[in-house]
Amino acid sequence: MSISRKPWLWSFVAALVVFVITIAATAGASTGGVMQAALTFAAISIIVGTGQMFVITLGPGNIDLAVPATMTLAATLALKYMDGVAVLIVPGLLIALGIGVAIGVLNYALIKLLRIPPIIATLAMSFVIQSTAIATNRGLRIKPPQMLADFTTGSLLGLPNLAWVALLVTVAAWLLLNRTVYGRWVPAIGQSIAAARMAGVPVDGVRLATYVLCAVLAAIAGYLMASFSGGAALDMGKEYLLMSIAVVVIGGSSVAGGDSNVPGIWGASLFMYLVVTMLNTYGLQSGARQIFTGIIIITVILVASGRRRAS
Amino acid sequence: MQARTILASSVLIAASAMTAQADTSNARIALSNNYAGNSWRQAMLESWNKETAQAVADGIVAEAPAFTTAENQATEQAAQIQNMILEGYDAIVINAASPTALNGAIREACDAGIVVVTFDGIATEPCAWRIEVDFHELGRMQLEFMAGQLPEGGNLLEIRGLAGTSVDDNIHAGILDGVAEYPQFTIVGSVHGDWAGDVSQREVAGILPSLPEIAGIVTQGGDGYGAAQAFAAAGRDMPLIFMGNRQDELLWWKEQDEAGGYVTQSASIAPGVATAGFWIAQQILDGAEPPKDLIVPMLVVTQDTLDEALANTPEGSVANTEYSQQDAIDVINAATGG
Repeated sequence: MSISRKPWLWSFVAALVVFVITIAATAGASTGGVMQAALTFAAISIIVGTGQMFVITLGPGNIDLAVPATMTLAATLALKYMDGVAVLIVPGLLIALGIGVAIGVLNYALIKLLRIPPIIATLAMSFVIQSTAIATNRGLRIKPPQMLADFTTGSLLGLPNLAWVALLVTVAAWLLLNRTVYGRWVPAIGQSIAAARMAGVPVDGVRLATYVLCAVLAAIAGYLMASFSGGAALDMGKEYLLMSIAVVVIGGSSVAGGDSNVPGIWGASLFMYLVVTMLNTYGLQSGARQIFTGIIIITVILVASGRRRAS
Repeated sequence: MQARTILASSVLIAASAMTAQADTSNARIALSNNYAGNSWRQAMLESWNKETAQAVADGIVAEAPAFTTAENQATEQAAQIQNMILEGYDAIVINAASPTALNGAIREACDAGIVVVTFDGIATEPCAWRIEVDFHELGRMQLEFMAGQLPEGGNLLEIRGLAGTSVDDNIHAGILDGVAEYPQFTIVGSVHGDWAGDVSQREVAGILPSLPEIAGIVTQGGDGYGAAQAFAAAGRDMPLIFMGNRQDELLWWKEQDEAGGYVTQSASIAPGVATAGFWIAQQILDGAEPPKDLIVPMLVVTQDTLDEALANTPEGSVANTEYSQQDAIDVINAATGG
């Protein structure tokens, strides 16, 4: 198989290059520490990005802009319900999942029943969700149960627990895409919704399921992230809107839909975290940092898509 | 002819403003707020509602509603201010989305004879009043405190706020001046924590493996607890972290202190600064003529006041204080040298 058939390779190459430059600053002394940090924080982007990838694969115009608000609401309600009590960890998780399902259904209801384009429908939903999060807890940070906090900050076999969860999500997503009928239907709709409909694909059911999947993964990410950082904050999801889209694109999925790439999300998420770490480590000023981040991302996308065209 | 009418009416307005001395009971003061999506802003709105409800009940002003824009955007807030002008408020208190983009709308309000007071997010339009805390001093005092605790100095990690904001620039400049004043300290690393615990935790965790031993962390508020968690997760020695009045920061400080002694300090701008804006607007309507730039004191929590501050701060919120009418009069007197 040629390199051009593996667009995900480029995100890993980019991550590796940035990683080597970062640890070179301390002549390799920081290798373990940087790797642990990168895996921990990339895990959240991976979980959120995987959901967004399914939605984007549905084809042009499909995107979920309610991801940050979903993370915030799921985390806020779950942590408020658990109120630091260990036995409520599982019911708390179920609440987060339930919120994800509800938001996914509502998102698609707006898109389908009111015929609003996804970009507007999910943006409108995100205002409703965010306002609900504000109204329920007024931005107070409630601490997670200690056991849950220990789990999210802990490690197993040298790999952070969050990375294990992300790995689980990735394997499940890969199986779903490559080994199930649903996984064939999603890119089929993305390539041509009319053709898919004629071929007998249950288009509405698949799209509904996909928006629900994305919202549920965002809810899980919010639940884990709030437990990791000591409580839900109203603006905790803010960065994960662009991040969720960026990791999909850098990871080698087609932004026009119809062609998705699961492993690439890992490379892209590690890369996005390591770029910031690298620029911090070398002490660049914030203006320069943002310019460099932009340039590096554009370069990676150009290199990756250039290879694809060449094939 | 028309110009003369305008001139005459503006003289009239000026005259009536003079005679309105000591009576603002019919005055209507609005809060224009650009953002409500974090705990600090929520505490701010709560303070405003609490303090103004009492002022309305006492008959000091007629009404003082708060309005928040849905998106943190200057264009939307400018439209909101224009609506307030049409609704005929006597004063508008603004936490501005941008220091410059609202200047046109603020100018219109001033031209309509409305008192405009900006705070926290201030606006540069000369006709408006600006209420600030001394952010430069907030940066400098951290070094002074560190020098008292760690006379031999050492390496510092700096956690900055949201890049490109005046608050971040001012605190950072204060910290640099502090380092110049106490040269035994060296800043060996700097990250942007955006005043958020989760962002700070992530950024600190990333840079930490490449840092030498850290003696102290200088901060901007909202970032101390996240930094502490990153240090704990990496198994590094806990440095002296200057805190920013958030309840989780204060609670962590107290737990550390009880576990084996941990001395630090905490300071930030109190969300209740909105109520300083309210009372200063009321005072101006009442005939006071303060200078346009006013400084309100910072809220500082020390080892001695930690228990009290923690007891008065709701779980997950931020240490707060409301400013009274007397506080506003004191601020005005201090500024006018009276």
